Amino acid sequence: MIETSILSSLSKINEKYQMFRTITSDTEAGDAEFLFSAKDNLTSKDMETCSGSKILEGYRPPFDATSIARMRGAGGLLVGKTNMDEFGFGTFSTNSAFGVPRNPYDPERSCGGSSGGAACAAAVMDGHVAIGVSTGGSICCPASFCGVYGIVPTYGRVSRYGLLDYGNSLDKIGIISAKASDLGKYVNIMAGADPRDPTSCMQPDMGARRKLKSVAVPKDATEGVSEDVRMAFTDGLETLESLGVDVDTVEMPSLKYAIPAYYVIATSEASTNLARYCGMRYGHQKGDLSLKFDDYFTSFRSQYFGQEAKRRILLGTFTRMVGFRDRYYSKARMVRQSIIGEYRSVLRECDAVLTPTMPFVSPKFSDISKMTPLESYKADILTGPPNIAGMPHASVPCGYDRNGMPIGMQLVADQWDEGVLFSAAEEWEKTFESVRPEVSI
Amino acid sequence: MDRETVEKVARSAHLKLTEEELETFSRDLSDILGYFALLDEAPDCENFGIDPIDVADVLRDDEPHMEIDPDKLLEGMDTYNNYVRGPRLL
Amino acid sequence: MKIGLEIHVQLPTKSKLFCPCPTTDAPAPNTHVCPVCLGFPGARPMMNRKAIEYGILLAKMLGCTIRDTTWFARKIYFYPDNAKNFQITQYDRPLGEKGMYYLNGKKPIRITRIHIEEDPGKIKRVGDLSSLVDYNRSGVPLAEIVTEPDLSTPAEAREFLGQLIRDIRHTIDIPDDGERSIRCDCNISVGIERCEVKNVTGLKNVERALTYELVRQTKLLKAGGKVVRETRRFDEERGVTISVRKKEMEADYGYIDEPDLGIFNVKELTERLKIGESPQNMILRLSKEYGIDEKTAKQFVSTSVELAHLFEELAAATDTETARTWTSGAVSAGWKSFEARGGGDAAEVVSLIGKFKAGEITDTECNIRIRAFLTGTDVDEVRSGSADLDSIISEYLDVNPSVIEDYRKNERAANRVIGHVMKRTGGACSSAEIVDATKRLIEERL
Repeated sequence: MIETSILSSLSKINEKYQMFRTITSDTEAGDAEFLFSAKDNLTSKDMETCSGSKILEGYRPPFDATSIARMRGAGGLLVGKTNMDEFGFGTFSTNSAFGVPRNPYDPERSCGGSSGGAACAAAVMDGHVAIGVSTGGSICCPASFCGVYGIVPTYGRVSRYGLLDYGNSLDKIGIISAKASDLGKYVNIMAGADPRDPTSCMQPDMGARRKLKSVAVPKDATEGVSEDVRMAFTDGLETLESLGVDVDTVEMPSLKYAIPAYYVIATSEASTNLARYCGMRYGHQKGDLSLKFDDYFTSFRSQYFGQEAKRRILLGTFTRMVGFRDRYYSKARMVRQSIIGEYRSVLRECDAVLTPTMPFVSPKFSDISKMTPLESYKADILTGPPNIAGMPHASVPCGYDRNGMPIGMQLVADQWDEGVLFSAAEEWEKTFESVRPEVSI
Repeated sequence: MDRETVEKVARSAHLKLTEEELETFSRDLSDILGYFALLDEAPDCENFGIDPIDVADVLRDDEPHMEIDPDKLLEGMDTYNNYVRGPRLL
Repeated sequence: MKIGLEIHVQLPTKSKLFCPCPTTDAPAPNTHVCPVCLGFPGARPMMNRKAIEYGILLAKMLGCTIRDTTWFARKIYFYPDNAKNFQITQYDRPLGEKGMYYLNGKKPIRITRIHIEEDPGKIKRVGDLSSLVDYNRSGVPLAEIVTEPDLSTPAEAREFLGQLIRDIRHTIDIPDDGERSIRCDCNISVGIERCEVKNVTGLKNVERALTYELVRQTKLLKAGGKVVRETRRFDEERGVTISVRKKEMEADYGYIDEPDLGIFNVKELTERLKIGESPQNMILRLSKEYGIDEKTAKQFVSTSVELAHLFEELAAATDTETARTWTSGAVSAGWKSFEARGGGDAAEVVSLIGKFKAGEITDTECNIRIRAFLTGTDVDEVRSGSADLDSIISEYLDVNPSVIEDYRKNERAANRVIGHVMKRTGGACSSAEIVDATKRLIEERL
């Protein structure tokens, strides 16, 4: 049985770290077998679901997301909904309408995004399992910034029923935890075909666990990466080699197109998904109904969407407009197929593609506020490629910088080959000594 | 992206932007689209699948049923005599 | 003048296109709804197999090219009845393209495409204060058929629609529930520029709206004016079209492909699904093959395709003339009642007429027995009723011999008996039965 004391201290913990948007009112764990949290873009019957957006404030979904339902079914108690960038739009969780989660290693720094609250909860709370969602790096980025393990299964592995869409062809539900063995355990609980999400219905069975024997490192993997990250990554490679893993260098020339292609597809889809939020049916609705519908919808959307949401809606609306659709939207989808092809051919020769997870350690909030949108988009340079290709990938902690901030590295396996990632993470945990953050409340 | 285009796109997306927003977004989006020009050099590819994995022929049988009580769905909505209230049309 | 139509037909599925909500009449607004058709965040579409099958049948009927793979797209436009503010429809790869329909079996009308899409909800207008939306219709499957501008007059457009709809109903087995379920967008140009009249309901209104536009555009051009490209709507009550928006104000729908449904490989399904002869083609074939006039053929087929089949069986068992006379007469007269009782095997009719042909039973007896069989009544009852009917008609003919005289010139004179007999029999006999009996009795006297 699990410790229930954590339930009574949740709000205190949250006061300090702001990782939760909503916290359970339960104080007893009852016969629950584990505690878990879910990102605030997964619907839950008993808790408000806002996806970090003001426009959905107060929304209580009438159904549970399949991922949450399966975790509950396996004996999990949902303790809260974790804070995130509005609709997943961000790399630092600074774009939430409901506060900003603080990095457990340094409260002046970001948890990463967009599943920042999830990674924070996993880092701070013992034995906690966090459901995260990744569209372009939203699980691995915060996992690496918070010094924990994160896994993104193959696109379609976990049903998206009940996920508030960002980019439907990109969104993937995964797990963040301080314990490597949780990755395989809980992905297995959430995975499996669900008729309510047709894209989950084509999946083969979860492959057998398989020891990691060889990795390929793209030639440009550490280009533009900070010195501290580069050093930790090199150490990581050496450790792997000492464990008997073959390391090869490969050319993957199409990866440089991943970020623009990713942002085009993601925002094209996002701008259609967000069309439904207009002051009718759910979320904020009290408005002047005598306005003509165009004006009524415009007033709500302009008032309640945050700046980054507006920026991405504009970008996505533009890239699918007549006259630009072929250049951006159609081309980006071709690029995606080229990237998938490139991964496939590399992964025929080895078990995983290895890179650092993020090009730098978690930045200070004061530095984040000085970044241009394009600069922060480019922070996804290493997490973007596996995400656009729907490849399963995991981030494992591999070192710390001079200030003690965690650094992660990312393993990418072939589609449906999560098994190799599960065992690689568990093997890695045996040799790598994590430095857990000091938690005082 | 010039201000005029930003305004046009915003109108289509049902967003009304302040002067300041127009200024900022025009600058940001020009910056971003400048970077996206990289796509022009990327080689074309015959295949342009909708999803990153193959999703084909997932079909449902034509059997009517209802799972959630519609009243429950209307609970959070602004309604009048079971109609959902919306803004004026003309 | 050039007219092109975009025709929306509701497909007769039991559940909606992307969710299992029923498509039947709902007891109250917003009672046949679920998270999918209300566009709730996190709910996603699940494709109804039957809708794809119906779509393929219609694409085949229209002689369209059906490619091996088809998929769906999002069309983005903001409107209160549009639950997601995008409609799932087809764009780059519709189910069928480049088909052909032969109006009256002769004039080719090119079919641009046919695709499947979801219907939006329904808005009840409530003055200027707000709108009230019922999403029961949201997600009901539609086929949209788009024609090239190959129709030349409003009357021709109506005729085309009438034939097309009859063929569609036959192909996918839609019950005849009046014209209302057909919605049309009509494109019409008299000169160079065209106008689109959106969402016209029913055949009659299509003709009215087009006629109004024809007159309006012609007058405008005569007066030296210019027709501007625009979208208009038809006011049914006043019979006029009203401008809704100019072309340059059209929304950019910003189509993207729908990632939640994947693609559909329909090659095998297309090969497996077979369509029968369309009613329009059957009319033409009957008339050509049996030498009966088109009007009679149309009468048979319109009554029911099964009746037309029976005619063919009769013609094979006896001869064309016998088959025609009996099918138009006693068989037609009792057919409605036969079908109302569930229809079924009508071999008995063929056998009875065979006996008459062989001289085993009389004309009158054959008539009585056919009627008894089709209406499911006891033979004796029909016989006594028929005797009564015969005597009432005979009395009338005795008093009004002019009917017989007129009948020589025009068979329609027999219709004059109907009113009188109806009154006398208290409505026990149908007018078809009365006419049939009258003709038989007059023929006896001639």
